Amino acid sequence: MTLITDAIGKMLGQRNILEVVVLGVNVALIIAFAILVDGFATLGNLSVILSNSTPLAILSCGMAVVIISRGLDLSIIAVMVAGATTYASGIEAGLPGGLALLITAAAMITVGMVNAWLIAFAELPAMLATLASAMVIMGLFRFAILQGEFMLLLPKSNSAVQILTTDILPGISVPIVVTAVVLVATWVLLSRTIVGEIIYAMGDNFAAARLSGLPVRPVTVVIYVWAALMAMLAGLLISSASGAVDFRMVTNGSLLFDVILVVVLGGIPLRGGRGGLRNIILGVALIAVLRNGMTLMNVTTQTQDVIKGIVLLVAIATENFLNPRDIETDTVGDL
Amino acid sequence: MTQAFAGRCEPKVTQLVKPQPDGAVHRPAIVEHLDFAALPRQHVPRFVLSPRRIFSDVLSRGWIESAIPFLAFLVVVITILSTTDGFFSSGNLRTMAQYAPDAGIVVLALLIVVAAGGIDLSIGSNFAMTAFVALFGFHILELSVWAVLPMSVMTGAVIGTVNGTLAGLLGCGALLTTLGTMITIRGLYTLASQSQLVEISASARIDAAWDYIGFERFAGMPVGFWALVVVSIAVFFMYRQSRFGWHLLAVGGNRKAARNGGIQVKRTVFLAYIMAGALVGLAGFLYAARQNSVGSDTGIGMEFFLLTALVLGLGGFTPGRGAVVSVLIGFATIYFLNNAMINAGFRGDLVQFTQGFIILSILAIDVRFKKNLHRLVASSYLDPVKRVPEPVQGAEGLMPDQIAPKLADATILGAGEIDGPEDVILDVQGNLYCGTRDGRIVRFDAPDHLHARTLAKIGGRPLGLAFDQEGRIVTCVAGMGLVRVSMDGTHELLSDQTGRSLISVQDDTTIRMADDLDIAPDGMIYFTDATKRYDMENWAMDLLEGRPNGRLLSYDPRSGRTRTVCDNLVFPNGVCLAHDRRHLLVASTWECSILAFDLQDLAAGPRVLVSGLPGYPDNINRASDGGYWLALAGMRNPVIDLAMKHPNVRRRMTRRVPPTNWLFGNLNIGGVLKLDSAGSIVDAFWDRPDGPLYMITSMREHKGALYLGGVTNNKIGRLDLPDVDNGWTGPDSYWGQK
Repeated sequence: MTLITDAIGKMLGQRNILEVVVLGVNVALIIAFAILVDGFATLGNLSVILSNSTPLAILSCGMAVVIISRGLDLSIIAVMVAGATTYASGIEAGLPGGLALLITAAAMITVGMVNAWLIAFAELPAMLATLASAMVIMGLFRFAILQGEFMLLLPKSNSAVQILTTDILPGISVPIVVTAVVLVATWVLLSRTIVGEIIYAMGDNFAAARLSGLPVRPVTVVIYVWAALMAMLAGLLISSASGAVDFRMVTNGSLLFDVILVVVLGGIPLRGGRGGLRNIILGVALIAVLRNGMTLMNVTTQTQDVIKGIVLLVAIATENFLNPRDIETDTVGDL
Repeated sequence: MTQAFAGRCEPKVTQLVKPQPDGAVHRPAIVEHLDFAALPRQHVPRFVLSPRRIFSDVLSRGWIESAIPFLAFLVVVITILSTTDGFFSSGNLRTMAQYAPDAGIVVLALLIVVAAGGIDLSIGSNFAMTAFVALFGFHILELSVWAVLPMSVMTGAVIGTVNGTLAGLLGCGALLTTLGTMITIRGLYTLASQSQLVEISASARIDAAWDYIGFERFAGMPVGFWALVVVSIAVFFMYRQSRFGWHLLAVGGNRKAARNGGIQVKRTVFLAYIMAGALVGLAGFLYAARQNSVGSDTGIGMEFFLLTALVLGLGGFTPGRGAVVSVLIGFATIYFLNNAMINAGFRGDLVQFTQGFIILSILAIDVRFKKNLHRLVASSYLDPVKRVPEPVQGAEGLMPDQIAPKLADATILGAGEIDGPEDVILDVQGNLYCGTRDGRIVRFDAPDHLHARTLAKIGGRPLGLAFDQEGRIVTCVAGMGLVRVSMDGTHELLSDQTGRSLISVQDDTTIRMADDLDIAPDGMIYFTDATKRYDMENWAMDLLEGRPNGRLLSYDPRSGRTRTVCDNLVFPNGVCLAHDRRHLLVASTWECSILAFDLQDLAAGPRVLVSGLPGYPDNINRASDGGYWLALAGMRNPVIDLAMKHPNVRRRMTRRVPPTNWLFGNLNIGGVLKLDSAGSIVDAFWDRPDGPLYMITSMREHKGALYLGGVTNNKIGRLDLPDVDNGWTGPDSYWGQK
């Protein structure tokens, strides 16, 4: 078996094996759906897939950067909803769209900095810090803005909301453009900046990065502020498309699960230090195709969940089989 | 000179055994009794009470790790008490005892997995699923309750098996694996419950046992509460007493070490998930019996709620800790907080915000506390006190600048072959023994003592040595205790702990630094534990503290019992029975004095035989002429004497100055004093300032020569003595000839 995996490994160069498997599965899925499902292989459906997957792609860009640095941001959905709430209430108060966006961005940057402070300065484990900060953010924004409600309706007639859903060119809407910009920005951040290098270094070996004098604390701030901004963008797109901000998106956990699924299936290990833009696109493509195909086949949400869960389990098991972890070097903190 | 001797016993010339040619009959010198009653009493404190010491001792206890969670719990309880009315009334407590237990059991399930180094996010889905299975079994299949319970538990265990197979046996990442099962099981649960819910709610089946479990009370408390109690006790004892529990903690603490220690890591993790799943199944069953229905939101968010409770109790996400009580306290904290706020009519969003904020604060404080705990201990551990030794007296005309350095004539034995012979001893045949830093007892064969060979490897740091009546060596081993070594190299540990002192925060039963010993004629072994607060590597720190931290112990070889003879002595070091075999001499290093105990009346306490020594006395041994040899490990100097008077100077120094620059005792030059039978200094043997025999800690007279050892030396010195009985040997003179 190792012979075969070695051979595959050599054939593919140094690429992540899971990545190749997922790519293969993705291609197979597309072919299968194209044959089996009516209306899957159409240009219109492609545009639906693209625009439906834009929030997921943007969130995944935020989460991927965090996970590459060996962190985890469980508050990303809460931040997303909080951002949309701020924007919506700003517009309701009659602010122009640009100003509302600025205020929202400032608020989300603050939220990201609080997360980063908890992790980098108070030195709480990222998982716990963001788990608790999600509660704080949810509670605070619901208390301060929604007066305890779960839902906030957006004024769909307002131009500041409409502009987020219009088409710039036929078939190319604002969300798609935003997503493209975000993807490029993520690529620049990870591959073309010193901050990106430090993010990879932190993910590879945090202690070594810190001891060699890299500015891990400021970079942690950048990472979580980045995640918060991504969450904000995704929130704006989602809420403008649906016309409402729904806090139950946080509690039912399905979107958070999708984001983690995208990152992990794309081939970015939770232990960090690996992966890049290619993995995000791959993961988003798989989930988007899967979601779209199953929806076209009239599979219920619950069954979709079951299928996605099984896909994740199979992917983990496969990855583990192809690329076994070394028990000797495995430390306890690695979940 | 005469003034210095005022108030002391006049030196009495004892019956000197004239030097005799070899082969003469040697007898122990007959010596007058020590004039014990005339000696001044030494004050020994009954106990040492110091706020700083109590503080640092409390901080170094294991349970202090749970201090912040426990304090948080207290604060929450007090706040609730002061702001609400009747929250802790028996009625409300009973209601909570009705609703809390299933989550309480699940948090223990989570603890089992987390303590083994994993995590289980699927507990919420698992809980909902098992509750549904219980309802399905009861209402649809109409099984008896005693079949429903195992069914529910088995369902949980099956889900645990899936988790365990992936995360344990296959070694996949636990977070992702259980995230996957969480979503999958939740989906399956929703599908299943949607299809059956109407029939379940339409079922009118009533069963006495089912209702009893759900609603009735046993001994005043709900049945679920007793289930939680039983599970808590079982898990508690599993971690404390069972092999499997220890394996779980070992795996969680350090997987690699556990594997190399022969524990089957994968199987242990696998079983942990199964156990956790089964416990969740039990909780689901209890929930089903109480609620008699499930909803789409059953168990939603439970994993996060309970993870928070767990983290609050453990004070962070710490694998390898099976702290059942702490976790239950964390659970109670968050549960009370939640309930009290909802009871008080706060809106859900405010409750959520407050809860998150409080949890973050507790965690942040706890992380800081744990991170800085060792610093706090380190900075408060050293607790200096004023100590004023008697001014130097009795050595006039014998100080190093006044007489020639006699040790310069010593021949060097075993140079480079040994490391750190703290004590040396010779048997009747003249073979020389010493302990070494690497934990061996080394023997140099008579007559020329050229080569070292290992008699026994005992480990630890062997210090003082003595021969017992059977010709075996008994040695004090720092870090271990009292060890007996036979001449064939076998050795046995005689004692490593004594009784705990009455007032002590720290458990001081362990003998930390056994230093020197001597054996009474009846076989009783008297030995010193030089300091209860510092290890062998840091023994000199005890000087900076200057507190009475040491004790004199006795070991009775007949009963095997160790007893504390006298606690709270100032670094008791060398031990030697007086020539009269009735009094015990103990050198008190930082006091620069020698104490005497009356073996027939130990309770009377020690008296001061000699005080105001010019250096820090180490071992003391009998001489052939009825006097004593006393090793000085280092010399006093005015600077240290002054510093000893000012404890705050020393405390500030240890906090602000790096250890390499600390003021320290002059422990690199020393010598040997010759005392007469009454303790007066009659001669001194100093080393050259550049001499090879620095820091002498022990010396033994044997057949007209003095053998010198030093704890930091790599050699033994041998000095021929003029005008002594050159047939005298230590064991013979004491135990008599065989």
